Amino acid sequence: MVLSQKLHEAFKGTVERITNPRTVSAFKEKGVLSVNEFVIAGDNLVSKCPTWSWESGDSNKRKSYLPADKQFLITRNVPCLRRVVSIQEEYEAAGGEILLDDDDNDGWLATHGQPKDTKGDGEENVPSMETLEISKKNTIQSISSYFGNEEEEDIPDMEEFEEPDNLIESDPATLQTTYLVAHEPDDDNILRTRTYDVSITYDKYYQTPRVWLTGYDESRMLLEPELVLEDVSQDHARKTVTIEDHPHLPGKHASVHPCKHAAVMKKLIEPLIAGGFEPQVDKYLFLFLKFVATVIPTIEYDYTMDFDLGGSSST
Amino acid sequence: MAGNENGTVLQFAPFQSSVDEGFWHGLSSLKLNKLKTDESPISITGFYAPCSNPQVSSHLTLLTESLPTEPSDGHPAETSRGNRNKCSVPGILYNTNTLEGFHSLDKQGLLKAEAKKIWEDIRSGKAEEDSSVLTRFLLISFADLKKFNFYYWFAFPALVLDPPATLVDLRPASQWFTLEEAESVSACCNEWRMSSLTADVPFFLVSISSNSHATIRSLKDFKACQQDGHKILFAFYDPCHLPNNPGWPLRNFLAFISARWNIKKVQFLCYRENHGFADLGLSLVGEALVQPSQAWQDQQHVPNAVGWELNKGKRVPRCINLSTSMDPTRMAVSAA
Repeated sequence: MVLSQKLHEAFKGTVERITNPRTVSAFKEKGVLSVNEFVIAGDNLVSKCPTWSWESGDSNKRKSYLPADKQFLITRNVPCLRRVVSIQEEYEAAGGEILLDDDDNDGWLATHGQPKDTKGDGEENVPSMETLEISKKNTIQSISSYFGNEEEEDIPDMEEFEEPDNLIESDPATLQTTYLVAHEPDDDNILRTRTYDVSITYDKYYQTPRVWLTGYDESRMLLEPELVLEDVSQDHARKTVTIEDHPHLPGKHASVHPCKHAAVMKKLIEPLIAGGFEPQVDKYLFLFLKFVATVIPTIEYDYTMDFDLGGSSST
Repeated sequence: MAGNENGTVLQFAPFQSSVDEGFWHGLSSLKLNKLKTDESPISITGFYAPCSNPQVSSHLTLLTESLPTEPSDGHPAETSRGNRNKCSVPGILYNTNTLEGFHSLDKQGLLKAEAKKIWEDIRSGKAEEDSSVLTRFLLISFADLKKFNFYYWFAFPALVLDPPATLVDLRPASQWFTLEEAESVSACCNEWRMSSLTADVPFFLVSISSNSHATIRSLKDFKACQQDGHKILFAFYDPCHLPNNPGWPLRNFLAFISARWNIKKVQFLCYRENHGFADLGLSLVGEALVQPSQAWQDQQHVPNAVGWELNKGKRVPRCINLSTSMDPTRMAVSAA
């Protein structure tokens, strides 16, 4: 972690300790959520998208301002069939995404921009060759081989522990699969199938939800968080997506940094209000997850596509 | 898919394990604070859910709460009953003190011992009352707390039918049911999954009346269902996503159905979901023939069992290194 980030974390921690959680709604004015509104929006997400559930998490890490059984939301085993760099190139060729409010340096994306000039194929249109290179070489690198000490002897070689045939008797009723367990549209890159646990916590400082990613390779071994960045839109990797301690789970996890969440939510809500819709706070997480999907476009979590954002003002 | 000729051996897709980082953190502190050098097996709980995506199977997952709570920390044991995404599976953990101990464990013997528990619960009728005991798992591990390496190996004991069950028919449930039946089955499955009383009950009966109305009954209502004269399907939460194979939990379920109710022709429903709701296009209905085994007449007999998990197709344990998140200096900082 860079020093400025550390300092900010320390500052944020202090502010969180001495301030009370938000109780007054400022959803429409600021795009933020109060603690109660987070629970209401979370309840609605769980009921509409039952692959999500509330978790109570580690009792020592519980936040007193949230109900004990509703500390954070999680959906497990979410497929991620392709590395984002592989689709990004196709997408950019087809029109791609444009940065919203680049001047403010918000850096959020809108889909369906102008098709880029593909003839040139210049350097700037291929922003992620480095990452692409990594993803090709190391697609199945898991934590067991990546983490740990540099010394070879500390990375145990499991092959030498192979059991004799008689341990697993030949059983005609056991499906002999390869260890690859997911169907993949492109046969050649079947190895790229990953799964994710996606969790949403409440960030008291920014007063918004915050998304966390825990990645697994195709044999369900933990992915080193750096490799998770391969599944993050390259405009966000290492900028808005950082690797930090999860407030409820052990270990380092990739997270979409919440500093711009409120501003983005406000921007998404404003046109609705202007169009005569009254945005409802219990739909906040659907809208939120829809925009998070632009950051992690290949992680296929549920957030219902066909929601109605709010009642119209006439009702 | 549909209309397999007689004699095809029914093949089941093996269960797959997944261990959350929190489990290893919990095990480390349990070992340091309570177990010390005690190698006695401990009861743990795994969690699974029906397959909820056409592309990936569900896993048997271990979380921090899979471990028994340490009595010293003053928090009551937490139950997650009623969480539809976390159906409990009873398991047992053998954690050894040394790597040599880990490798020298009698793996066949341990698997047999767990299979015997399943078999006894089938014979005694306990499985009829609490179907969650039909699926069990076994975990052996060695936690190297100096290097933060965790060696482990899962087994999902499955009773072997001898001769194996054969498949008469297997197809997407949407093709097997009439439209009215499918609608009614979906509705009652969703209701079963929504209720906190039944959401984590992984084995059940689907009873379909002659007017296409489906109801879900628990296993202990089987005798009553039979008298209704309805069509009965033996249903289970299927973690597998494959279109041509049922998942592992059906193995012990078939053994149970055969041993307990002496049924030879079993119609089963592999219940699967998409976006968290019943999906009869992914779910399968099959018909299997189960020959009663002569040996099962003998009260002392315990069927053979299989189920050690392969690691990338090989008979090797897994190992994960967590030094980056378990480094003592970092733990001290986060505990402060």
